[in-house]
Amino acid sequence: ICISHGFYAEEKLLGSLASMSTSERIKAIQKMPETMKKKREIRNKVLKEITKKSRHRRNQLSCCTQCLHRTAVSFRRFGNSLSEYFHLLQLWHKTLKIIGAEFGTSVLSYFIFLKWLLTFNIFSFLINFSFITIPQFVAAESNNLSFMGLELFTGAGYFQQTVLYYGFYTNATISKIKNGPSYNMQLAYIFTVGMYFVICFLILLFSMTKSFYRNFVNPQTYSGKASTLLCTWDFNIMNEKAVKLKQKNLSRQIKEDLAEVNKEVLNFSITERVVRIVTHLLSWAASLGTAVAACAGVYFLSINNLKLFVEEHKNDLESQAAMLVLPVVASLLNAFIPFFYSWLGHLEKFQTPGHLIYVTITRNTILKISIVGILCYYWLNIVAASESQCWETLVGQDIYRLVLVDFIFCLLGSFFGEFLRRIIGTTVCVRLGLPEFDIARNVLDLIYAQTLTWIGILFSPLLPGIQMISFSIVFYVKKVSLMMNCQPPRKVWRTAQMTTSFMFLLFFPSFLGVLSVIGVTVWRLKPSEECGPFRGLSSMYAAVSEWVKILENYTPSKWVVWIYHNLITSELFFFILSTIVLIVTYLYWQIIEGRKTMTKLLHKQIVN
Amino acid sequence: MGNKQTIFTPEQLDAYQDCTFFTRKEILRLFYRYRDLAPQLVPLDYTHKPDVTLPYELIASMPELKDNPFRQRIAEVFSEEGDGNLTLDDFLDMFSVLSEMAPRDLKAYYAFKIYDFNNDDYICKSDLEKTVNKLTRNELTPEEVRLACEKVIYEADADNDGKLSLEDFQQMIIGAPDFL
Repeated sequence: ICISHGFYAEEKLLGSLASMSTSERIKAIQKMPETMKKKREIRNKVLKEITKKSRHRRNQLSCCTQCLHRTAVSFRRFGNSLSEYFHLLQLWHKTLKIIGAEFGTSVLSYFIFLKWLLTFNIFSFLINFSFITIPQFVAAESNNLSFMGLELFTGAGYFQQTVLYYGFYTNATISKIKNGPSYNMQLAYIFTVGMYFVICFLILLFSMTKSFYRNFVNPQTYSGKASTLLCTWDFNIMNEKAVKLKQKNLSRQIKEDLAEVNKEVLNFSITERVVRIVTHLLSWAASLGTAVAACAGVYFLSINNLKLFVEEHKNDLESQAAMLVLPVVASLLNAFIPFFYSWLGHLEKFQTPGHLIYVTITRNTILKISIVGILCYYWLNIVAASESQCWETLVGQDIYRLVLVDFIFCLLGSFFGEFLRRIIGTTVCVRLGLPEFDIARNVLDLIYAQTLTWIGILFSPLLPGIQMISFSIVFYVKKVSLMMNCQPPRKVWRTAQMTTSFMFLLFFPSFLGVLSVIGVTVWRLKPSEECGPFRGLSSMYAAVSEWVKILENYTPSKWVVWIYHNLITSELFFFILSTIVLIVTYLYWQIIEGRKTMTKLLHKQIVN
Repeated sequence: MGNKQTIFTPEQLDAYQDCTFFTRKEILRLFYRYRDLAPQLVPLDYTHKPDVTLPYELIASMPELKDNPFRQRIAEVFSEEGDGNLTLDDFLDMFSVLSEMAPRDLKAYYAFKIYDFNNDDYICKSDLEKTVNKLTRNELTPEEVRLACEKVIYEADADNDGKLSLEDFQQMIIGAPDFL
């Protein structure tokens, strides 16, 4: 009976495999937990079944379908060999493997995040360059300014009349040949930037929900000790020192967990509880107060900055250097206040180290968001309304300087934070030991830099190219610094959850904030009269509405006009869309709750 | 199509591609690594399916496995006889499961078999104790090891039989997204 049972199960398996499509079948065979011999047998049997079936069918089918089948097979072979070459395109694959082997997956997640942000910048640079800059080269005006070396740092001077900034782009409809095809620069500009942001939005949304689903949906029903034991062995690590370190950490953690078991039931007395709450409140007040003070400082400095611009015409060294004060101060605040926050965090006593990490990250995020927010307020309300000739170029220059100084500070931070600290830790004060790679702080720096780049795309279309170069340099510098100076992390770092949180931080305050800033710029602000592709219009969006008005006179494009009036500008459509999204979300939420209850019930049934 | 290599027949390579997560190039590269462990034992012509097995000591000297505390169990799980000596098929199988392209359930299945030292399809207390010792390099006292194992069984055992079955283990993996 046993043998026939096994035989029957295999028949069913073969039957189900034979009825799948080729790629599904291959995936199913690859996933089977059998030895290679068994898998090969099953595969050969399935292929025999399929050729039997198709031979039987071949006599009945026309030769058309046979041709199709043959082309499908050769296409699949071609796709296979293409995918082999696609693997070569993966940037830094070997470097990432080495980092993962020596330091584990937690540090690797920072580098993977950096690589992911780099692809956003590469994509943006490519489409901006192809659709906006190259046509502009055709219709370029000559540049009368002279080039001095300081432009690389200040972004002003010679660069003002180049494709780097918004102000240089023409508002004309470019056409090389008379009565030939023309290229409307206004529409190109607004549609390229708009398309890029829509695609970014979709990519971020999908990555975030996929990550969220994988890592948060199944809540930890175990307090973590069992999974610590059996699931945190990082099979990626291949370095002997790293392995020994990991073993030591695991044993220390188990000892701590076992010791805590006895302390779990602790009743805090009323005074202790009050003291804790008061400490927490005071720390939050201190951190928020520092953030507000930093913002006020930045705001006053930037007002000062504007005065320098409006009276700019002296291009000497002093006034150029004065333009750099604002970015340097902003970067200094971003570099040193986090140390204050982590000191505050150590003063307070948190229940778990995870709490400490989350609170510190929240405080740092609030600081960075407020600084970026106050700068945006300054740019949109004050610079845009000032009497300068070309306010968009001024904003672009400000952002260029901020990005550049932030990059320099990142390199300096690596030098001081890791290189010097290692020298101190090994020679002067041996008790400190080697530094660890501070993942949270570095990731937040990356998110800050990317936020600035996204804001700057509208005002300086080639900024992603500059950020691309800076991210590549940062990658190499961080990698070298890591290998030379750091030791693998000692505390357990829940990589998957932290990666999801970082993606969430990138999406929610960073990207959506950028979208609102761009939205306000495009819809509300008046572009400058004398420069840029939107000169003379009442708002940047007016270019699109004027284009639609022109299209109304052409009958073949009536559908575009219809879509515009009834879908994009109509409030009713968005209202209906939001209601549908809310209903679907609510339904999914209820399904998840229902399944959770079901799992609990079934679990109880098994135990009893 | 592509390069002319004479080690495998095209059908053999197709079969390997379908059964592992590797591309043609990677399979050939792994073959050369297998051969480098013992060039005199491994022939360059596999078209007639020679029966070659490399002893465990050579496998354990590979840089990927040399420092891994579970290298012996890994080799035993993937070998045909359970003695750690691997044929080329077993070798490719092992690296396929350990690669980053293998799905989590497959890795969880094999992790279960690796931690199951006495091969009885359950992780009992003695298996857990050996696992803990390997994970912590004998730095815990026997008392602490015993306590830790008890906690694990208490938390993860769903059907209360004192040992972990494959389903219990997989349930635990679902709740631990950091598993690699």
